[in-house]
Amino acid sequence: MKKDLKKVRNIGISAHIDSGKTTLTERILYYTQRIHAIHEVRGKDGVGATMDSMELEKERGITIQSAATYCSWKDSDINIIDTPGHVDFTIEVERALRVLDGAVLILCSVGGVQSQSITVNRQMTRYKVPRIAFINKCDRTGANPFRVTQQLRDKLDLNAVMIQLPIGLESDLEGMIDLIAMKAVYFDGDQGDNIRIEEIPARLRDEAEAKREELLDAVSMFSDELMEAMLEESEIPEAMIHDAIRRGTLSLELTPVMVGSAYKNKGVQLLLDAVLAYLPCPTDVENTALDLDQGEAEVVVSNNPNDPLVALAFKLEDGRYGQLTYIRTYQGMIQKGDTIINSRTGKKSKVGRLVRMHANEMEEIESAGSGDIVALFGIDCASGDSFCNGVNWSMSSMHVPAPVISLAIKPVDNKAQINMSKALNRFTKEDPTFKTFVDHETSETIISGMGELHLEVYIERMKREYNAEVEVGAPQVAYRETITQRAEFDYTHKKQTGGSGQYGKVGGFMEPLEEGEYEFVDAIVGGVIPREFISSCDKGFQKSMAKGTLTGAPITGVRVTINDGSYHAVDSSDIAFQLAAIGAFKQGYSKAMPVIMEPIMKVAVEGPSEFQGAVMGSLNQRRGVIIGTFEEGNYTVVEAEMPLAEMFGYSTTLRSLTQGKAEFTMEFATYKQVPKGVAEELHKAFEAQKKDA
Amino acid sequence: MGYEPLVQQNPLRVLNMGRENNQMGLVMARAGLGKTALLVQIALDAILRGKRVIHVSIGETIEKTKSWYDDILQLILQEHSVNRPHELIDMVARHRMIMTFKVAAFTRSRLEERLNDLVLQDIFRPNCLIVDGFDFETTDREALEDIKNLMESMNMQAWFSAIHHRGDSRISPTGVPAPCHEIDDLFDMIILLKPEHDATIQLDIIRNYGAQVEGGKGLLLDPTTMMVKEM
Repeated sequence: MKKDLKKVRNIGISAHIDSGKTTLTERILYYTQRIHAIHEVRGKDGVGATMDSMELEKERGITIQSAATYCSWKDSDINIIDTPGHVDFTIEVERALRVLDGAVLILCSVGGVQSQSITVNRQMTRYKVPRIAFINKCDRTGANPFRVTQQLRDKLDLNAVMIQLPIGLESDLEGMIDLIAMKAVYFDGDQGDNIRIEEIPARLRDEAEAKREELLDAVSMFSDELMEAMLEESEIPEAMIHDAIRRGTLSLELTPVMVGSAYKNKGVQLLLDAVLAYLPCPTDVENTALDLDQGEAEVVVSNNPNDPLVALAFKLEDGRYGQLTYIRTYQGMIQKGDTIINSRTGKKSKVGRLVRMHANEMEEIESAGSGDIVALFGIDCASGDSFCNGVNWSMSSMHVPAPVISLAIKPVDNKAQINMSKALNRFTKEDPTFKTFVDHETSETIISGMGELHLEVYIERMKREYNAEVEVGAPQVAYRETITQRAEFDYTHKKQTGGSGQYGKVGGFMEPLEEGEYEFVDAIVGGVIPREFISSCDKGFQKSMAKGTLTGAPITGVRVTINDGSYHAVDSSDIAFQLAAIGAFKQGYSKAMPVIMEPIMKVAVEGPSEFQGAVMGSLNQRRGVIIGTFEEGNYTVVEAEMPLAEMFGYSTTLRSLTQGKAEFTMEFATYKQVPKGVAEELHKAFEAQKKDA
Repeated sequence: MGYEPLVQQNPLRVLNMGRENNQMGLVMARAGLGKTALLVQIALDAILRGKRVIHVSIGETIEKTKSWYDDILQLILQEHSVNRPHELIDMVARHRMIMTFKVAAFTRSRLEERLNDLVLQDIFRPNCLIVDGFDFETTDREALEDIKNLMESMNMQAWFSAIHHRGDSRISPTGVPAPCHEIDDLFDMIILLKPEHDATIQLDIIRNYGAQVEGGKGLLLDPTTMMVKEM
């Protein structure tokens, strides 16, 4: 089966939480006849939207995992990756963006460009994803798509141009004017299935003419033919305008803006048309891979189905029949019965079942061509792995941030214990930002991730999907320790009383390392430490780095150089030098002015301007540094850098300060040194804890 | 704080800056000559002298404004060796606050409200106000006097930037071009940025704390880095 790649679209739907993304996806599936009834996200029918496949998502009314789903519209195939809107799940969004060719950016016509839209937009720019904007909820009170379009220009720096005009707004929303065809479009029937095209109402004629002029002005940049036609003032064919918009969109220099209301079934079909008309097909986008045989040299994937297979596993899910792996192919074909090689592990696997996914249901297929998004059964891998056949390439590695918050969890009984480890095993494979380990001193299981909500969701999933009931400890900030100055060490480890003794002497210095976590420099001359024991020293230092002396947090940013030492012909051994290195590290560390570092989050609080003072006060109290404020109309955004340790329970504080009218988002920014007073408290608490244990 | 050498070596010292509060300064130039770069250097100089600065950007984003500071601070760090550069970067962040407004939203009452928010809760006590992007074309004398009064009542220094349009030949007797030719007496310090034939940009200091200056003081902006240099 060879498909025309020009008729494939891999798109994402991305937006701020609650701007109606899941509702829109639901409508798309309805109009493309993948589902036959519409269920609301928080519907009274109790079925829930089709895309929110996890029970938990249904309950909270939010979408957590990006399910991939397939549909077809007017002869073309569309794969939709539904992406989560909450910033705690940013890795999911980023991973989804990697496999997309284009995206629909949804905005609420009332809320406009909110902080999450800014984050998502930045990510899309980083991955060079062409996008069209859909201003949803035009039926809501206070809807103003013109203001939102202006915000797209101001806040997101997009060259946003309206290609539609709403007919009526708020409860009077009737339909929209297509500024390219210059026709009014209405949606009749209970579910808006029947599209009725009419002349533009007389009262909107002038406004539509003016907006069309604006549109033509903006898009003529991308088409010389169009520019000529405009200069000659001849009739401009629709196809010429479509073509210019497409060129502008693909070059990321233009963002067409559409309006509508998914909930009221207005404008969704036109959005689908626009996806086909303006968003890229797989061959329009250049994707690169790393050739592992050529020292990770960048290579461009060909999109040619006859070339060797290159595919990326971007998402794992645990289904009833085992692990389900979502993959995107970049070149070549994948067929049932093929052998594919995981380029990270080198492991070979056989493709058993190949399916096309539609939220919870699936459809068996025989093969999938280049540019497609499908799922495999029974393949053991982690998300982010690449699969090849014939070449040894890896799709460029994705940037994974380090976790900033951790929790201790304890299973309530034996059964829960077994289920818990199953669940944790799965989650760590699915989500690279979710980590877990056992603290040997307290024998507690620790989970860590990108935010409070992030961990909460996994605990809920453990309960629901794995039936693992756990007790949860208080959240802990992931502190780190580092040194601030150079310090010498010279340490002898000696134990020579009876039996075989131990002897090792290590001398050298440690110094702060600006970039990177740890470096070991061997400057030993004349064999004062024999070759075979150098790596023992390295091992000893690395062991010491795992736990600092101030708070027990891991140490980072240290370069250790050894330049002196001595050994004993009989008593020196691997373990003796490891212990000598541990002793030496301790000695140097205490002299190197160690400090505690804490994660700093970039926080944005949005709300009505009248609360700006209160919001700034609350941030200031929490040791925050306010970077700035942004005012627009009666709406203000306060941006600040906040220590994560001070942000626990902030949502409650903010709600009571602002009568629930403000909201905030946060994402990890950097690690910074903890102020002296706080550092002393942390150290005291650590000492007390040590005594107790 | 150990940043005195940075302060002493700053070519801006020629300008007698930081002598007193309650002063208003003005930087004028045609579009794209480096007004913002100069304002940010004036702000950083104030911060290094231990002052707190509010930077009002009209019609600009927080991010863009912040990156001006980051870039210029990097240039300063490249030129001068500073112990623990992170502490300096941190100090600057703590002594600076950015406020961005839409063009129409910036008024004296808005500004006063915001400043009071900060001062009354003891969040931030500014000594210096930078206003970049103020629209002098549509502002009358009264509005500006109003802001000057506010600065005096809060004991603050203020710096404004103004765009001078190429085609507009109106000019005050003291040499201040439009659109500030009729209100130049409100400012205690006026700097005009003038492009030279060799692509450098001269700082033509028209007024230096009340005193009229002839022929400037021999400062220029390096055209590649936009940093103030002595000739």
